[in-house]
Amino acid sequence: MDAAMRQTQTSDVFRNYQIPPQFLDEVFNAPGQVHPHYENVYRQFLEFSKEEFKELNEHAKMSFFNQGITFSVYSDKAKGVERIFPFDLFPRIIPATEWARVEEGILQRCVAMNLFIQDIYSKQHILRDKVVPAELIFSSKNYLKAMLDIKPVGGIYNHISGTDLIKHSDGEYYVLEDNLRCPSGISYVLSNRVAMKRTLFQMVRQFNVRTVQEYPQELLATMQSVSPHGIDAPNCVVLTPGVYNSAYYEHAFLALTMGVPLVEGRDLYVERSFVYMKTINGPKRVDVVYRRLDDDFLDPMAFKPDSLLGVPGIMAAYKKGNVNLINAPGTGFADDKAVYTYVPEIIKYYLNQEPILNNVHTYRCEKEDDFKYVLENMANLVIKPVDESGGYGILIGNKATQEELKEFKTLISENRRKYIAQPIMDLSMHATFIEGEDQFEPRHVDLRTFTLLGKDRQFVLKGGLSRVALKKGSLIVNSSQGGGSKDTWVMMDDGSNNASMQQNGSMSQSMTMNGQTMTMGPEGMSMAKPGAE
Amino acid sequence: MKTEYEVVYSTQNIYEETVREAFYSFLVLPCHDDSQVVRHLSLSNSLEAEVFHHPNAFGFEVTSLHTVKPFQVFEFQMRALVEKTAPLFPLEGILSVPEEQQLLCDHLFYLENHLFLGAGQYTQIKEAYRPGLLMRAPDQLVYDYLQQLNRFVHGLLEFDPEPTHVCTTANEVLKLRRGVCQDFTHLFIGIARLNQIPCRYVSGYLNQGLNLTGSAVMHAWAEAYIPGFGWQGFDPTNHLLADGHYLKAAHGSDYADCSPLRGTLKTNGGHKTTYGVTVTPLEPPQAAQQQQQQAQSTLSL
Repeated sequence: MDAAMRQTQTSDVFRNYQIPPQFLDEVFNAPGQVHPHYENVYRQFLEFSKEEFKELNEHAKMSFFNQGITFSVYSDKAKGVERIFPFDLFPRIIPATEWARVEEGILQRCVAMNLFIQDIYSKQHILRDKVVPAELIFSSKNYLKAMLDIKPVGGIYNHISGTDLIKHSDGEYYVLEDNLRCPSGISYVLSNRVAMKRTLFQMVRQFNVRTVQEYPQELLATMQSVSPHGIDAPNCVVLTPGVYNSAYYEHAFLALTMGVPLVEGRDLYVERSFVYMKTINGPKRVDVVYRRLDDDFLDPMAFKPDSLLGVPGIMAAYKKGNVNLINAPGTGFADDKAVYTYVPEIIKYYLNQEPILNNVHTYRCEKEDDFKYVLENMANLVIKPVDESGGYGILIGNKATQEELKEFKTLISENRRKYIAQPIMDLSMHATFIEGEDQFEPRHVDLRTFTLLGKDRQFVLKGGLSRVALKKGSLIVNSSQGGGSKDTWVMMDDGSNNASMQQNGSMSQSMTMNGQTMTMGPEGMSMAKPGAE
Repeated sequence: MKTEYEVVYSTQNIYEETVREAFYSFLVLPCHDDSQVVRHLSLSNSLEAEVFHHPNAFGFEVTSLHTVKPFQVFEFQMRALVEKTAPLFPLEGILSVPEEQQLLCDHLFYLENHLFLGAGQYTQIKEAYRPGLLMRAPDQLVYDYLQQLNRFVHGLLEFDPEPTHVCTTANEVLKLRRGVCQDFTHLFIGIARLNQIPCRYVSGYLNQGLNLTGSAVMHAWAEAYIPGFGWQGFDPTNHLLADGHYLKAAHGSDYADCSPLRGTLKTNGGHKTTYGVTVTPLEPPQAAQQQQQQAQSTLSL
């Protein structure tokens, strides 16, 4: 096929692309013209015909089935059905300088939130100084009296934060949510990169993209840094609620890639205020628990008494400093969406710095004038419950029916503390391959980032999970609500010519732990025991 | 005046099926405070499991044990010698009404006592019930008001163990007009907090020589904060002030912070829990002979 012939066929997948007039397009400047940092990827995509691209897309899907990356959705219908999280091959690209600023902002925010949580569970200076209203904190169901005066080893509460960002039509990043409890999604970030490499290895290797594969080791190092005093080789575990949890795949994935045991509550017990794991060789002390279990279920002795998923007595061991919990219980009051309003003040209060990242203006229905404004302007607002996650219970004003609006009016009026409202943000759009249409169309995206705080160590994953709202016009990107995702490339340098044809061997990383060698590379993840065939 | 008491808490749990693993937590030890000291403590359990102690959220010692030995019957006993000094009662007129109210409205005071001022599941009182409740008169001192409130709650409810259970809330009690010490206490707390008076739930033991209601089992009463004085115990079930006959185990925001026994076990089928308490003053000797009989009560949890 000659070049001219190819040229005419190829733009098929982009031919009907409509640049959204009122939103920021991450890829395109003008029809057929892309932003400089997308130039090379775009040119390579033009090489593919529609048929070729469809085939690549199927290939990428297979990669997820083969990796076993599935999730399930909590809803009445189709309970327990395993699905794959749709993946889009067009990567989202963030230039180095742009990322550097974002990373600085995320870190600033997470550090400030940690100081905030620490303060609330000790001297409460910020409440004494009336920077944040005390009632707002005390009325949060995630404010735990069991955490008062507990001093976790290393002074860290939000070891793992999943800060959600969006890019508004003004070109600026805004923080949408601080997820400080059990943020999920990291396994998709790593698997997306694997799928990308498996499908388009020849293309990917030409770009200087920051790696993400070190995350499990960074997480393990974070856990080890906050192990109880006097423990040289801490025993770390991942605690899962079990196979019926929607994120079970991720729990298994993290345990496997960190090389630590995956346990359920029934595998652990507490004796003399120490936590032990039942093994075939007898009890083994556990020092750090990455728990993917909500606070309520963690310890039936301290919280919900009928929880069968937790570990009775683990809060007693935690209070004595004999075990560390990641994240600390009770961080949820800080990512409450009504507390969110105060994050800029919180950053100024603890760090004496101006916030780097923007906050979306938020109306607290609890406040009289805000409440009035919300009722009058419901059609132009997004209304969210303060303490839910996963995109549940949200009303998007301009998409709601009269009936839904009415229903929400009652809901809000009955429990004003529970609801906040925000202007409908213009999430940026990104070219995304749409199955059925078999072409690229703009879709809204956000970005979940991952930050680790340990004792004397901080780490922000270079990139994150770019979530895509696959439904045309939809703003909801959550995996549980029909979203998909993209690989996110943070570039090593800003040069528009990113194609550097660098040769660095196999591009795989391997490490050995407990006698097992784990390899993460273009072929995916594999584990092997030396000597075993 | 000092009195020495022997306090015995014992419980027996019988299971229909074999229990393969269990974790129990008891919040039953008499606490140390200005008016009482534990001189001697002994604990025993039928499984001979090693017990360990750890503080709860309010700093009270919890006794816990874990066992994997299969069993169908579990018995636990706590025996303590407690030296009790009769506490002083508040004096009238330390602070004036405006001085008291100024303290109760102070922001820092609120932060320090917020756990005893908020309305939780147990102590919240619906708007609809509020008009019928006794509130503090504008010119009334806090201590004077609380004594009236003690009488008010005592008069409002009839003691009756039948209709209520451990989960009954103040709202339900207001509807039923009946309940046990836990219900009297939650209602007292709920009303005191409506008046911005910090108030907390206390669980403990009652001298059994006085034939008071609630002395055969662990008793519950309230402690309210009196400006210029401190915490004072009120027992609305008996319409009394907590004095030298009241031995405190723990306090918290409400019952949920003070439940004497929590357990998680692996077993099938039902179970039956019985528990009893004896509280015997060792001095003066003439009072001692009246007690002694093991008081038993049965509750199905």
